[in-house]
Amino acid sequence: MILLHLGVCNEELFLWGEVPPVDHSMPDEEDSASDLPYDATANVLVSAAAEGGLCLQVKRAISLYVWLPTRDGIPLPSSPLIADTPPKDTKPVLGSWHITAVALSAEEAFYFLADCYGKEMLAPGIILGSDIRFFRRVLRFTSALVTRERFLPDVCERDGEFQAVWEPLFVGNDSNKLAALAEAMPQVCRALTNEKETAPGEPSIAVVSKVTNMFLDYLVRLSWMEKRPTSTRSRKGRKKTFASVHDQWIHALRTWNGAMSGETGELEYLAGQIKAWRRSISVSTGAPFRLTFRLEEPEEDDSTDQWYVRYLLNAADDPSLFIEVEDAWDPGKQTKSIIAKRQTNIQEYLLTSLGHVSSLDPVLAESLKRPRPGGASLDTAGAYTFLTETAWLLQQAGYNVQLPVWWSSSSGARNKLSVRASISSPAMKSDGGLSLDEVVKFNWKVALGDEKLSLQELETLARMKMPLVKIRGQWVQFDAKAIQEAIDFWKKKSSNQSITARDVVHMALGLAETPEILPFEGVEATGWVGDLLQSLEHGAEIEKIPVPDQFEGTLRPYQSRGYAWLAFLQRWGFGACLADDMGLGKTPQTLVFIQHRWEANDKRPVLVVCPTSVMGNWQKEAAHFTPSLPVLMHHGPRRVKEPEAFQEEALRQAIVITSFPLLYRDFETLSQINWAAVILDEAQNIKNPKTKQAKAARALQSDFRVALTGTPVENNVGELWSIMEFLNPGFLYSQAKFKRRFFVPIQVDRDMNAVERLKKITGPFILRRLKTDKTIIDDLPEKQETNVFTNLTKEQGSLYRAVVKEISESLEGTDDGIKRKGLILATLMKLKQICNHPAQFLHDSSAIPGRSGKLTRLVEMLEEVYEVGDRVLIFTQFTEMGTMLQRHLQETFGREALFLHGGVPKNRRDRMVERFQEDEYGPLFFILSLKAAGTGLNLTRANHVFHYDRWWNPAVENQATDRAFRIGQTKHVQVYKFVCTGTIEEQINEMIEQKQDVADSIVGTGEQWITELSTRDLKKIIRLQKGTVK
Amino acid sequence: MPRYYDSYYFPPSQPLTVKGGIKAQSKRGRFGQTWWGRRWIDTLESFSIGARLGRGKSYARSGQVLFIDIEKGEVHSAVQGSRRAPYGLEIKLRIYKRTDWKKLAESLRQQPFYVARLLSGEIPEDFEHIMKEHEMPLLPEPWNDLEMDCACPDWSNPCKHIAAVIYLLAEEFDRDPFLLFELRGITREEFLFDITGTVVEAKKDADEMEETTHSASPLTPDDHFWEEGPLPDDLYGVVRTPPAPAALPKRLGKFPFWRAEEALSDVLEPLYRKASLRGAKVFQGEE
Repeated sequence: MILLHLGVCNEELFLWGEVPPVDHSMPDEEDSASDLPYDATANVLVSAAAEGGLCLQVKRAISLYVWLPTRDGIPLPSSPLIADTPPKDTKPVLGSWHITAVALSAEEAFYFLADCYGKEMLAPGIILGSDIRFFRRVLRFTSALVTRERFLPDVCERDGEFQAVWEPLFVGNDSNKLAALAEAMPQVCRALTNEKETAPGEPSIAVVSKVTNMFLDYLVRLSWMEKRPTSTRSRKGRKKTFASVHDQWIHALRTWNGAMSGETGELEYLAGQIKAWRRSISVSTGAPFRLTFRLEEPEEDDSTDQWYVRYLLNAADDPSLFIEVEDAWDPGKQTKSIIAKRQTNIQEYLLTSLGHVSSLDPVLAESLKRPRPGGASLDTAGAYTFLTETAWLLQQAGYNVQLPVWWSSSSGARNKLSVRASISSPAMKSDGGLSLDEVVKFNWKVALGDEKLSLQELETLARMKMPLVKIRGQWVQFDAKAIQEAIDFWKKKSSNQSITARDVVHMALGLAETPEILPFEGVEATGWVGDLLQSLEHGAEIEKIPVPDQFEGTLRPYQSRGYAWLAFLQRWGFGACLADDMGLGKTPQTLVFIQHRWEANDKRPVLVVCPTSVMGNWQKEAAHFTPSLPVLMHHGPRRVKEPEAFQEEALRQAIVITSFPLLYRDFETLSQINWAAVILDEAQNIKNPKTKQAKAARALQSDFRVALTGTPVENNVGELWSIMEFLNPGFLYSQAKFKRRFFVPIQVDRDMNAVERLKKITGPFILRRLKTDKTIIDDLPEKQETNVFTNLTKEQGSLYRAVVKEISESLEGTDDGIKRKGLILATLMKLKQICNHPAQFLHDSSAIPGRSGKLTRLVEMLEEVYEVGDRVLIFTQFTEMGTMLQRHLQETFGREALFLHGGVPKNRRDRMVERFQEDEYGPLFFILSLKAAGTGLNLTRANHVFHYDRWWNPAVENQATDRAFRIGQTKHVQVYKFVCTGTIEEQINEMIEQKQDVADSIVGTGEQWITELSTRDLKKIIRLQKGTVK
Repeated sequence: MPRYYDSYYFPPSQPLTVKGGIKAQSKRGRFGQTWWGRRWIDTLESFSIGARLGRGKSYARSGQVLFIDIEKGEVHSAVQGSRRAPYGLEIKLRIYKRTDWKKLAESLRQQPFYVARLLSGEIPEDFEHIMKEHEMPLLPEPWNDLEMDCACPDWSNPCKHIAAVIYLLAEEFDRDPFLLFELRGITREEFLFDITGTVVEAKKDADEMEETTHSASPLTPDDHFWEEGPLPDDLYGVVRTPPAPAALPKRLGKFPFWRAEEALSDVLEPLYRKASLRGAKVFQGEE
């Protein structure tokens, strides 16, 4: 594990890293700058950096000092992942520590940070420090400046060498943003120095500016040169000669390093010329005020149409402070002191700025012909020009513009013209028979916000040909020509009688192309179309339908609603995404729907595609809830691949279960069938639309498509397209259009309108209930226990079989009771270890990932919990497994996981509990040894409890669960008990569940009872069932 | 190129080729984009020096003028003619007393329009009228205000070399009208001081300003040492490629005494456009 850092020292960015210390010997207090005990050595640093695409050489490593908070001579690590932080009894002081660091060129830093985009880790075990995430933000900030072209060419001199450079230009708001960025900078970013004795003290703003300059210069050159330089060394060819210093300058601006040579005097003269060239901008860059233009509407009762642009000065250091320019020419006492405090020649700034403004707009220029100008009067046409043109020009030039709310507010709903439709259709017939292709009667009206307008009124206004009109006391932008066209569009729509229910649904969702100036805003519909729209809008309130007879189990009220919702969308041919929180029972809701279809006489099979790790779970759940439905597991080497044979086999089933990898590998086979439904469990597996499995999923034939996921899909705009494209092809347009219409406006511009539109389109097809929802919370038991069935990996399977074979042989030759007992207990132990993880059984501290079905499933489930920020207890009875879990979870999530076992001293144990319970940003995962922590502790901050392996004693397990499920717990507690299918774990689990009443008496004494079993029974329960290995 | 094209065989009036001289922006037709630039040219052209005007224009366009220095009331320059050594020349204008300037400032204060326009780089049309009322015209009268001298053998004054410099000066006046003020004896800073009554220090470079305001800020070893502070929601603002490229350098106008072969705007426009598109890609995390 390594935690990477980036910091600035002098003019460069340096990469360094922290690793958990090798031994616990702490530095000698005498030496004021010993080696940082967590320092990542050059080799480790270089290989970690390679994961971020950085090709560094060990020989580039140098040593630097980092000044860190240090307590009692021990430097504090940046994260508990590196080392425990000592208790906070004394205040830390700054200490200087020796570290290994590698300087990154602008290019290296650029590509490295680009690689870090949106990540907390580069790879498992390679964690990014907050400083790296911060510089990633600085890069993004810089790229925004470049996109907006806020930069200028310049020359700079460093140690007598001149360089042509590209520099960012911070005017107006941009300088506030830069200051905000500097304010937020983690201190560690500027904690590096090459001086042992003096702590670095460069202010954040200087550090951020420096890095911004560096990135900007690189980015502009990169975009011109288009590809990265093949060699970092510049080719030393013949020196180019230039006719003039200007020729040289514009040449150097378009090279990688910008180096300029020549007479110092001439280069200094160039620098002076550049300064003169930039003078008009530099007046406004340093000013403590910003000129602001406020457009004021005519007075309510004013019939003369007098608009006014008021000039104001806005203090840069206090955005709420405005001075009227009229008062600033000859300031009164109060204004005078405001200006004096900011030490500026206000008149020069005003004159220069107004002079500049006057060249942008003749009306504003005219206002300067009077002494002490304070604003300019406009007529309505002038106001429109100001709104549509001048305001933009002024903003571009770096001035503030304040426009009336009805113009600038992004929603602008109040003053927007729209079309409302009314639809009448007959009442819903009970026998169905209706389809979306039915033609409906369509009437429309024009509205302004909540006000209705007659068509005649609108046409009269359109004839006035004024760009802004006042309708019912509200100012409205009015493009007469576009309005007339829109009126014609709607007239035509309503007259030719060809609007279908599908068109209405599309319009209601905002999917249909309607005139932008007169968009379709709302619909009042009666009859079945009204019901349909109503149900689409309020998915969870759909009328319930009866539970099929052969469904074994009872549904909670919200589950019946989910089931009815699925059936409703299926009825109208829409795809559905059921995105309920983990633990709310997406599987039973799906199964009851499948049973419903089956009993409604659709005897075609349903295809369930899920991660390999949950296939066993689906099989179990189907057997439990819908035992009458024939199920086929399509996996394993002996699956039927031949299309025709498969078709024959599959058509006899109600459910076919397969995995995502097989979805595309066996696509030929699976695509033979026209499925009744295709259901993707953990649908985030197709979030990338370009992957093979996503393409395969979209290409399957079926009448109904369902995506199940526990992650909040609706929040991730990037991933939404792929899932919606699977469910309802074409609804979110092509991927390119989606990107233009939604992704860029939402991700880049934070356009709330786009968010609303997207929600409107996708809302009816996504049902997500949270455990914390008021309507759900009453339906849930306070504690809900679930068995989680997982498969063994191939490796686990062969180890398991070997152990079973070994004991079967040994048992044959053992009559000795005590010896037999010992042998059985040892074997049980081995089998449990194999189920947990091969590395635990082999005790070889070999690699962890990908070798245990159980662990894979645990991580998948924790990912969902992690998304919502819940806290988790994980119990295991093995310290070795606990240590492995801790390491693996920390490396996978890049977050601290606590581990409490018998060896943890009392004071550390108390501190762990305290941090888990009290610390707002404390660890989310708490691994506990069942024996050390099964009783006594109060861990109510957790609302998920995982039993990774089993004690097979419900009393002991319940006691452990009660660490979370006890007084003080405010949430519902989810308990997950892991069981490896086909193994002894499943056998014993079944025995306990079937004989719940007698369970206590059999198993009350732990695992002893197993040793009492006959050899035949024993063999029966430990043997590995067929078809359970992945 | 064959040797005999060397200067020896050139017709005597053909100037030696110069690289890196000051190049006029105007490529054909008249000089002077602004009314005051044109008036400055008119003054030159009123001397009726015939074909020298055309020669002067082409000297200005081909970069024969090696440098131009402007001081209060004086212009110094050198022009490459047909002889090996360039000709030195000088142009002088009559300058006004500071007390007269102060009186002018007094009346300008009542009409912010004029000064505002001047500061934004434009001399309002009727400004010269005000100047004349104060008996201190900004633009020179041909015979009273102007003194010119060139080291060339031409008997005519102004000669084509002076003409070339005057044409180039017209372009500089277009860009910065305060250069005309300087030739009349007052710097921009002095003029501003007279208008606003406040000392205006020569505007510091943005970099220098930053350096002076950034005092050292020591690290504090607290719990927030590693943490990022809160950031405003709209940190990046609206990030879009501007409709027209290179608006910012365009707003700065002509570069003083531009001497490169390529025009600066021809270099910057494609460069800004490419940079903006690439920046957008990086911003959206595609790179």
